[in-house]
Amino acid sequence: MTLNLAQSWQDALDKVRTWARLNSPWLIHYNSGSCNGCDIEILATLTPRYDVERLGVKLQGSPRHADVLICTGPVTRQSKDRLRRIYEQMPEPKFVIAVGSCAISGGAFQGCYNVIGHIDEVIPVDVYVPGCPPRPEAIIDGVVKLLQKIGKQ
Amino acid sequence: MISDLTTLLFFPGGLSMLLAGMAFTWLDRKLLARLQNRLGPRWFQPLADMVKLLAKEEVVPAGVNRLLFVGLPVVALAGALTAVLYIPLWGLPPAASFPGDLVVTVYLLSLLTLCTGLAGANSGGRFSLLGATRTLTQLFAYEAPFLMALMGPALVAGSWQIALITAGINGRWLLFTQPIGFLVALIGLMGKLEMPPFDAPEAETEIVAGALTEYSGRGLALFYLGRSVEMVLGLTLVAAFYLGGLSNPVAFLLKTLGLLLFIAIVQSLMARLRIDQTVGLWWRYGALLVLLQWLVLWGGRWL
Ligand code: SF4
Repeated sequence: MTLNLAQSWQDALDKVRTWARLNSPWLIHYNSGSCNGCDIEILATLTPRYDVERLGVKLQGSPRHADVLICTGPVTRQSKDRLRRIYEQMPEPKFVIAVGSCAISGGAFQGCYNVIGHIDEVIPVDVYVPGCPPRPEAIIDGVVKLLQKIGKQ
Repeated sequence: MISDLTTLLFFPGGLSMLLAGMAFTWLDRKLLARLQNRLGPRWFQPLADMVKLLAKEEVVPAGVNRLLFVGLPVVALAGALTAVLYIPLWGLPPAASFPGDLVVTVYLLSLLTLCTGLAGANSGGRFSLLGATRTLTQLFAYEAPFLMALMGPALVAGSWQIALITAGINGRWLLFTQPIGFLVALIGLMGKLEMPPFDAPEAETEIVAGALTEYSGRGLALFYLGRSVEMVLGLTLVAAFYLGGLSNPVAFLLKTLGLLLFIAIVQSLMARLRIDQTVGLWWRYGALLVLLQWLVLWGGRWL
């Protein structure tokens, strides 16, 4: 009986936690070697025209405040350590969205001498948004897919 | 005993205050969004943010004083919640009162800023340290003019006790007789809350997130909650002092919301000031103008 009670409490708490997580994804944006095309699209997503604050999305400056790391571009040798460090500085639970063809496969920079490759060779990625660069709508769609994934877990 | 506990935990302190703080934060963000031609956050946004932050991992960076790192957010929120007891919330008489509680309240309200500064200095990162320096510099800039502006009504009522001041004002709108004090108090409040023209201490584009850069999860949530509570308290204090003292709760709420609208408009109109400009503004104009007003008040009494 007590065990059941504790269990249902746990379930209720989990529900509240998931609800809060779904409704307030705070982003941090990192460019690990992209051509800046994807970054501009991400910034365009944050403008009043798309107004992502209505979904609870906020761009944060500090990795400690963020829930979702939104990465663009292939990983260059120089930025590999930094990307990993930013990922490790984020508090659990944390998620990663890879934006752009380069982030998915290395894209235009595939095989360059200074490029390691795609993002998930360095850190685990939850959602991939293809495009070169993807439109703001696609990026919002990526965030929504991530939220659906969190909701199902 | 029981009534004391309800005062402390539910109304006017504690829980109701946290909810009011979140409601005001939402309203502030929503107004700002509407002024920028956006839809803005949904009504439960601050609640979702807080629950999410509380459920997140709290990272304690290496090389900090653990006790301070964990304790400072609690002290900050507790300071703001203690100040609730002395403030005429919703136009009702304050829950507790003693001679000189105006000064105590103002100091309780600066506890949050002080804790933020200490937290930044304790975190060890260079961005937190820079943010802490700016936070404390700003504290020294706005605190004196803010207190002096609140003293205007105290001079009129001839008392240092918030309950007696609001009673002494007795429905007069000091906004019209002391416009400078009103403006300085309201803008001092914006400095206290680190709102846009005065957000150099947490300037995202320069120093990541200022003093709170290293905070995550629980600590960050408590600091944010403390700031929300302080927004309600500050607006209430200014409304009670300058917009006609105590009145019925609905009218009082409308006055407070009017002040919030004013603050939101100023936020959306102004770009960020550099930290030296902020300090210059307060000391060169704010403090001197309030002093001038004091002289006029004092002179008026003898004429
Ligand atoms: S996907 Fe296209 S726009 Fe994005 S970084 Fe690669 S080349 Fe640039």
